[in-house]
Amino acid sequence: MTRLAALLAAGLTAAVLVLSILTLVLTATGLMPLVGTPGATLRAFDAVRGDLLLAVRESLVIATSSTVLAGAIGMSVALVALASPGGSRLLAATTTAPVPVAHIVAAVSFALLLSDAGLANRLSGLDTASWPPLVAGPWPVASVATFAWKESAFVALVVTASLGPAVRDFSEVAALLGAGWRERVRYVLLPLALPALGAACAIVFLFTLGSYEVVWLLGQAYPEPLPVTAYRLFTSLDLQARPQAAAVALTTVGLAMAAAVASVGVLRRSGVSR
Amino acid sequence: MSGRWGVGLAAALLMLWFAVPVVPILVWSFADQWRFPAVLPQQWGLRGWALAADEGLVPALMRSLGLGSVVAVLAVALGLGTGRTLARRSSAPGSRWRFLLAVLLLAPVALPPFALAMGLDVLLLRWRVPDAVALVVLLTVFALPYTTYTLRAGFLSLDAELEDQARMLGASRSTAFLRVTLPALAPTVMVATFLAFLIGWSDYIVTAVVTGGQFTTLPVLIGSAASRIGNEPLLGVLSLVSVGVPLTLLLLSGSIMRRTVTRSTAKGGSHAV
Repeated sequence: MTRLAALLAAGLTAAVLVLSILTLVLTATGLMPLVGTPGATLRAFDAVRGDLLLAVRESLVIATSSTVLAGAIGMSVALVALASPGGSRLLAATTTAPVPVAHIVAAVSFALLLSDAGLANRLSGLDTASWPPLVAGPWPVASVATFAWKESAFVALVVTASLGPAVRDFSEVAALLGAGWRERVRYVLLPLALPALGAACAIVFLFTLGSYEVVWLLGQAYPEPLPVTAYRLFTSLDLQARPQAAAVALTTVGLAMAAAVASVGVLRRSGVSR
Repeated sequence: MSGRWGVGLAAALLMLWFAVPVVPILVWSFADQWRFPAVLPQQWGLRGWALAADEGLVPALMRSLGLGSVVAVLAVALGLGTGRTLARRSSAPGSRWRFLLAVLLLAPVALPPFALAMGLDVLLLRWRVPDAVALVVLLTVFALPYTTYTLRAGFLSLDAELEDQARMLGASRSTAFLRVTLPALAPTVMVATFLAFLIGWSDYIVTAVVTGGQFTTLPVLIGSAASRIGNEPLLGVLSLVSVGVPLTLLLLSGSIMRRTVTRSTAKGGSHAV
């Protein structure tokens, strides 16, 4: 019974992955046009080349800064929870707040928080003109903040779960041997947390790279990140835009695959995972 | 120790970080009028709820509940198989296949959902697969990594001899699985079900791509409300409902789990912990 389920799951996953990527390749290269005769061409990539490079840069900037922030904040939660046994329960409860929040809802919340008429500006007392353009401005501040909020909870949960109760003992032994808080973090806690932290950060990076809702609602009009560019072309009335949408989607898939391979490589080489 | 103050301050700051972003949607859901630059609404009320009802909150809620539930049931049923397979010892035969399966089931986490949905959509149109089927299949594939790896951890923590003993006592393979293994796994199954439900419940882009915006789930409704200007009370209400449902499920499952654990401890079961 379970073997059949495993086979079905593997078949379904493989079919979806292979068929969708294959169709993207065929569509982007003109071999599977919606209308007209098939013929191999790189015209779709050529047509979007300028926007594509800008979109790649925008997406990489957002994914990298979100990952760094989420990793740092998530790790801090784990460390603070370890250092304060009494208050850690309340902190753990608050940390789960972003879990049931869908990304589109998180984006709405941050828009209502950070836009020029948002809660933050109401509290600051500035007028709308002096408030910095955090939403839809030249820097993707609101997008990065939203991802950092949502994913820092994820990192915190993963790292806390991986550290386990034994870590507190190790930390206490180190303290008995004369290590201060800083040394305990540097030589005991961080090395023990690194495998989980690394893996969680890799997942956050890959997720933010391909996530649509947040950057669509909170990002600027131009340049757009990859998912927004692809979906705009995909829903365009012009059918010629379909191959271009496939080209952008395919670029995102390629970037995600490269990032996944690289992160597995880094995690392995640093001896963090085997 | 001065460090204690530092830790307390850090904990307070982190709690603010996680709690504050939920505040605007809470306030807006009960604000009839909240003009800038007032810190609190000028007029409290339920205008947003009436607007939400007019916009079709109830049917959207039903669709999202249905989608989340179907994805949860399928992804957990399949995940029981993959999780159990991946929990086998590496010395057991077929370890190379299991490694391939492990990599395959991580891939949907690494790949962008919008891109896979776009690729598949073209094919599904040609093959005339109904949108609903395509949507469920895609979201189940995206939920599978979560159910697989959660359930794998559950199977790993399980005493493998439990099922063997049931078999020796005469239980058939499926009876042993359904009556012994599955009940022992109940807490893990609940977590996996919740995670898979969330995938279906919160999806926006796969639904938008596959159904062309024709299947109005709660996130799709939120997306369309968010792309118009000046309806914050409506946005607040829709967002609050979207957060409220999984939150309620989370609290409910927590209390059910606590009750089962206390009951089996009361009966004197030594394996309850």
